[in-house]
Amino acid sequence: MGFSGYDVNKYSPRQMVMIPLIILIISVAILGYNMATIGMPVRPGIDFSGGTAVTLFSTDTPEQLKAAFPGYPLLSIGEGVNNGKYIRFGPMDDASLQSLATLITSEYPDAKIDQIGASFGQTLQQQALIALIISFIGMTVVVFLAFRSFVPAGAVILSAFADITMTAAAMSVVGIELSLPTTAALLMLIGYSVDSDILLTMRVLKRQGKLDEKLSGAFKTGIIMTTTTIAAVAAMWVVTFAAQITVIWEIATVLLIGLVIDLMNTWLTNAGIIKWYVLKRGGK
Amino acid sequence: MSDSKLMACLKHWQVALMLILVVASVIAIAPRFEDGKFTTNLQYGLDLQEGTWLQMEFKAEIVGFETDQSPDVFVSNLKKQLDAEMYIIEDGKLEIRSYFPKETLEAAFTSSGGKLTSYEQGVSKETADDVKRILETKLNALGTKDARVNPLTSLSGVTHYIRVELAGVSLAQAKEIVGKQGKFEIRIHTTDNQTEHVLYGDRITTVGVPSHEPPGSTTWGVSFTLDEEGARLFQEGAIATGATTNPEAHFLDMVLDGDVVYSAPLSGELAASLENEPIRQLYASTGIGPAGLEAAKNLEIHLRAGALPVDVSVAGSGYVPAELSDYFKLMCAIAFIAAAIAVGAVIYYRYREPSIVLPMIGTNLSEIVILLGIATLIQQLDLAGIAALIAVMGTGIDQMVIITDEVLHEGKVPSPTLYKKRLVRALGIIVVSALTVIIAMIPLALMDLSSLRGFAIITILGVAIGVAVTRPAYGEVIKEILSK
Repeated sequence: MGFSGYDVNKYSPRQMVMIPLIILIISVAILGYNMATIGMPVRPGIDFSGGTAVTLFSTDTPEQLKAAFPGYPLLSIGEGVNNGKYIRFGPMDDASLQSLATLITSEYPDAKIDQIGASFGQTLQQQALIALIISFIGMTVVVFLAFRSFVPAGAVILSAFADITMTAAAMSVVGIELSLPTTAALLMLIGYSVDSDILLTMRVLKRQGKLDEKLSGAFKTGIIMTTTTIAAVAAMWVVTFAAQITVIWEIATVLLIGLVIDLMNTWLTNAGIIKWYVLKRGGK
Repeated sequence: MSDSKLMACLKHWQVALMLILVVASVIAIAPRFEDGKFTTNLQYGLDLQEGTWLQMEFKAEIVGFETDQSPDVFVSNLKKQLDAEMYIIEDGKLEIRSYFPKETLEAAFTSSGGKLTSYEQGVSKETADDVKRILETKLNALGTKDARVNPLTSLSGVTHYIRVELAGVSLAQAKEIVGKQGKFEIRIHTTDNQTEHVLYGDRITTVGVPSHEPPGSTTWGVSFTLDEEGARLFQEGAIATGATTNPEAHFLDMVLDGDVVYSAPLSGELAASLENEPIRQLYASTGIGPAGLEAAKNLEIHLRAGALPVDVSVAGSGYVPAELSDYFKLMCAIAFIAAAIAVGAVIYYRYREPSIVLPMIGTNLSEIVILLGIATLIQQLDLAGIAALIAVMGTGIDQMVIITDEVLHEGKVPSPTLYKKRLVRALGIIVVSALTVIIAMIPLALMDLSSLRGFAIITILGVAIGVAVTRPAYGEVIKEILSK
């Protein structure tokens, strides 16, 4: 396996947390820059900004499609495999939307249409933000109750925070928009993230034995856990990419990026902090 | 695996429970061939079934107010000033059935001698339920085979949106159906069961909510107002048919789309007044007690002829065509199988031991079957739900890896007491991580962010089933299989 070359015991805690720390700073900078320029940490999709999206399969070129919808606020046309096209329109009033829907249904009867009004998008955006905050707080409470100790719990929470922040920054770099499905994927990452972190912390703190052995034991189990999840998500990613199922493909992409980032945050950030914590307390 | 080991596995209640649930779920899902097509009892959301969804926003608001005057006086002042329909829904809470920005209301409240204390766009739950009834009545009348109407009520009890899902209907069609009004007519009996047209529903200007008339009595009914022309037509009709002189012989019928929805004589009092002048304010009584209230609610809907008591605007909408939804269904199945194979391959690569890999995959699939079985009862599957299903498969395997690695040391099964201790420790890790997943998903399950609710519910269910049923069962199975 690709990661089996990494020895979790080879480096000092300081060396371990260095790389993730730098990436975290860059990620925060990217999100901050987005916040300052577009008002959102990641470019919002139509779910949050409002607009109309049309998914259809057609051999028509983008120019032909553009010509097929004159007078409507067409923003972009994306192309996928299998002649899949993803057309986006800006906000429009009810009457135009009604006529656009009629036009699409008559010209391209197999088209999928999604439309979100601008103010509804605002509401969704606020609620998604609230959901994210409540989830994170809930996770914090559970983790603190489970460990009842500041440093280990803090390390798990920091890793989860870093996972989400870095994944969001990566989304922005790769060009995936923040939508309802991708928000769900980010929330899901909270769950995946703490999975291996809790395993690591429990093994190191609650088991007898040498620190080195406990760390490599946890690493062996943790890697297999995350790789199985990556395998499931990667399979989902490949199929939905080929089949142009945007909703699942977006969720899969975000999960995939997040899981790889989680490997780093668990075995560098969290492992580094827990190692430092144990060494400081005089453990071996 | 030998038969004796199989029996040993079955003796553990955890394993037996899992198998019973799997069987029950297969029965619930009921996979079968019908007319040469493979069908199940699974309910599909709109991504996986042709249809349209419309999310509509109420053009109304619920506001809190304070005033030194009596609330009724204050509200009637406000009514005059804003020229809008409004009702006190509870002490200090008012439902205004037209859209006004907060600033406008603040000014209007102050000049009517009060103060605006809170403002939230939407309607009360009762009004939302009325709207739901009206829409359902309308959709049923049109014979739409599969329609769902869901008001989305926030935690504060205010309903801002209502979502309509119509299977097998295009977007343009759906908007037409929802906006369409019925044809309402008032007729009066002449002789021999013949009736004569008096006026159409367009003469009705306002329709009240069910109320008691006279106030304080136990009789329910609905008041409604005619415009001047309507009142004149009503008077003429009543006099011409003889209803004013002999009401009992000339019942008044209300007809909606050809069906008589209400039939009663004019009251003596009304008949007498109509002899002299046109009357604009009318009241139709429906009877006493809960039955009277129920009838009054229906009559209110009929009087509105399918028009909603509150204006709505379309906040969001979407349509999935049949070809695409069938294709999605097929591809989801392929994605699912591919994910299962990928997981199996990784697990095999790690353990190289069929007696570990097979129970693991078997338990994992059982979990998915149980999840789908429960889903047939409570949750429709959509694309986000399928993604959750595959994600749950990932966490499921994760947690079984934790159990396997905690329990086995160098591939050997320890003594029963040590085994038990380690299994409990493994389950401890699993419970904590399961709890965090559930906690992380609860906001999405409660907040009803359209498609994400399904995602959250499937995830929570999957994780819960895992912790409660399948993980403990796997712990027992792996012990029986590997012990000498």
